[in-house]
Amino acid sequence: MTSNPTTDDSLRLLVAQVMGVPPDKVTDDFGADTAPAWTSLKQLMLISQVESRFGVVFSNQEVGELTSYRRFAELLRNR
Amino acid sequence: MNATARLREIARAVPPGGDWPSYAAAAASLDAAEGLRDAVPENRRVRIAVLASFTADPIVPCLRVEGARAGMWVDVYLGPYRQYMQELFAEQGGLLEFAPHVTFVAVDGDAMWDMYWAEGRPPAATFAAHALEPLMAAVDQFRDRGSGIVVLHDVIAPMSLAEGALAFADERSFSSCVPALNRELRARAAERPGTLVFPLADVVAEVGRRLAFSRRQHYRGHVTWSDRLTAEVAARWVGYAAAAVGLAPKCIVLDLDNTLWGGVLGEDGAHGIAIGPQWPGREFVDFQRQLLDLQRQGILLAVCSKNNEPEALAVIRDHPDMLIREHHLAGWRIDWEDKASNLRRLAAELNLGLEHLLFIDDSPHERAWVREQIPELAVPDLPADPSEYAVWLGSLPSLVVLQQTEEDRRRTELYREERVREQARIEAPSQESFLRSLRLRVGIEPLSDATMTRTVQLFAKTNQFNLTTRRHDEPTLRRQTAEGVWRVHTLRVADRFGDFGIAGAVVVEPRGEAWHVESLLMSCRVIGKSVESALIAAVARDARRAGATRLTAEFIDSGRNAPARTFLAQHGFGMLEDGLFARSLEEPGLEWPDWISPWGDERASVTAGVETT
Repeated sequence: MTSNPTTDDSLRLLVAQVMGVPPDKVTDDFGADTAPAWTSLKQLMLISQVESRFGVVFSNQEVGELTSYRRFAELLRNR
Repeated sequence: MNATARLREIARAVPPGGDWPSYAAAAASLDAAEGLRDAVPENRRVRIAVLASFTADPIVPCLRVEGARAGMWVDVYLGPYRQYMQELFAEQGGLLEFAPHVTFVAVDGDAMWDMYWAEGRPPAATFAAHALEPLMAAVDQFRDRGSGIVVLHDVIAPMSLAEGALAFADERSFSSCVPALNRELRARAAERPGTLVFPLADVVAEVGRRLAFSRRQHYRGHVTWSDRLTAEVAARWVGYAAAAVGLAPKCIVLDLDNTLWGGVLGEDGAHGIAIGPQWPGREFVDFQRQLLDLQRQGILLAVCSKNNEPEALAVIRDHPDMLIREHHLAGWRIDWEDKASNLRRLAAELNLGLEHLLFIDDSPHERAWVREQIPELAVPDLPADPSEYAVWLGSLPSLVVLQQTEEDRRRTELYREERVREQARIEAPSQESFLRSLRLRVGIEPLSDATMTRTVQLFAKTNQFNLTTRRHDEPTLRRQTAEGVWRVHTLRVADRFGDFGIAGAVVVEPRGEAWHVESLLMSCRVIGKSVESALIAAVARDARRAGATRLTAEFIDSGRNAPARTFLAQHGFGMLEDGLFARSLEEPGLEWPDWISPWGDERASVTAGVETT
């Protein structure tokens, strides 16, 4: 599982834009448990944006698990 | 940089129809721009309410950014998920407190499809009535209590239906229900004041249904509209909101060569330019048709072109295939001066603010020059290919006319009369002899059903001669007059050159000893004719008859209403405190000018309440 800096940067920016926070606030832990900005609706919005930006489709089970920046990065790396 | 320029600057980070994360980021920048909201003039702050049958949250940042692009600060009230009926029926709460300028009620095709299945596939006519009855009752409730205009959506089937080739003949098919619903919706909206139907089906057709709806998002989170449709709808809703508060363009200024016709007149000659029934030329005929459709709604057309005036006018007057003729034009500047200066002159001649002009020119160079010289003027990018002109104009979101009055239909004529009048003024030996020569007639009448639409429009659009720039809407005017809190009168003006129709209004609160002028406004077309003296004289007369001894008047500086401030000084009002002026009714200076003939029964005493005619 190697990280791709381009994907990471682009994901971090997307998360920041959708959640309405500055990009430097999007740490690996940034997610539903740590950030009030991360609402369930925003999470759905983010999933759609990630899907269209990176050309992937998450399964129903994955949709429920995508509750932090880290989880998004992990799932994207595994594609 | 002023506040409007800052708004536009932030919006420029997102191209129109850009991706949703960019809209969200730009909306965050609006919030982060310190003091920006407060710096935006009151008349450019617009409140939009959104009530939807689906998750409409993503449209909020799009509305704010598209608003900023149009130089407005948009605040959005988003009703709770799917609670549009509850919100409209509520006797108190968020929506009413928000006091929206426009409320969009977006009930989508999926909601109708659900209802249709729940009712067991009813016949189209029954279904249309069932579906709309409660919705319209809710709209009526809100219109009685709330503010602003209400905009409903037409209905579009969420997908191609598997009802088959015979569905067209089956009155129980959903394919039959959709047009029945839309007919019923249009009819019911048309009979209600301030209630409109937004053509969502047109927007979806432009985007394409597969791209307009995102089924995966719809099922996952009931986010039915795709990012693309959301952005397109937001831009158009902002156009409606701008029109509702009087910020929509009032005049389209057109270039000639390669804009109204193909080719360059100076090089190709009158017989060489492209305009006519076949290509090349047909695309310009269609563009002119679209422009004339806008003109019919009351948007003025004018010309600003670098050409020799006699040659260009000869084409406009005599070319057999031109549709736009001299009598369609409110004014023109055809010479070799730079276009920014000519646009300023045209605006002055038409008595319009520069922000009310929209300039259309095929030359990117001219457009850039005008944008740089006059940042407040709207200069959209005309497509490079003339085949796209007509389509482009039809979908330009800012060209929205929400009300049409007799005055709108006659507007171009009114400007022609003004040119003749201006000539008389130049030739008259003194101001008073000029005013006498006009043979002015003025009528001051209680607000009635017949004058309501025009009066509401004046409240929405009048900027210069407006004491308080309060944008009263129809429900407010009706409620306040019915309760006797306000006496509202309209000003009707005519002179020997023509009829201005309803050109002003005054709202007075009769407070016993001291009557209070809550609003007083007048179309800039009748400024300089002393008719405002007749208007305030009528107020003074009624106040004296009722036993009052003083008049007070409010003034709110909007940055653009200096003429109204001068009016108070000229009529003997002194400042009591910031924004509050007063004068005694016992001192002279409020007489009806003797060069103005009273019209009809305006000297008769009037009663509070809206008269029904």
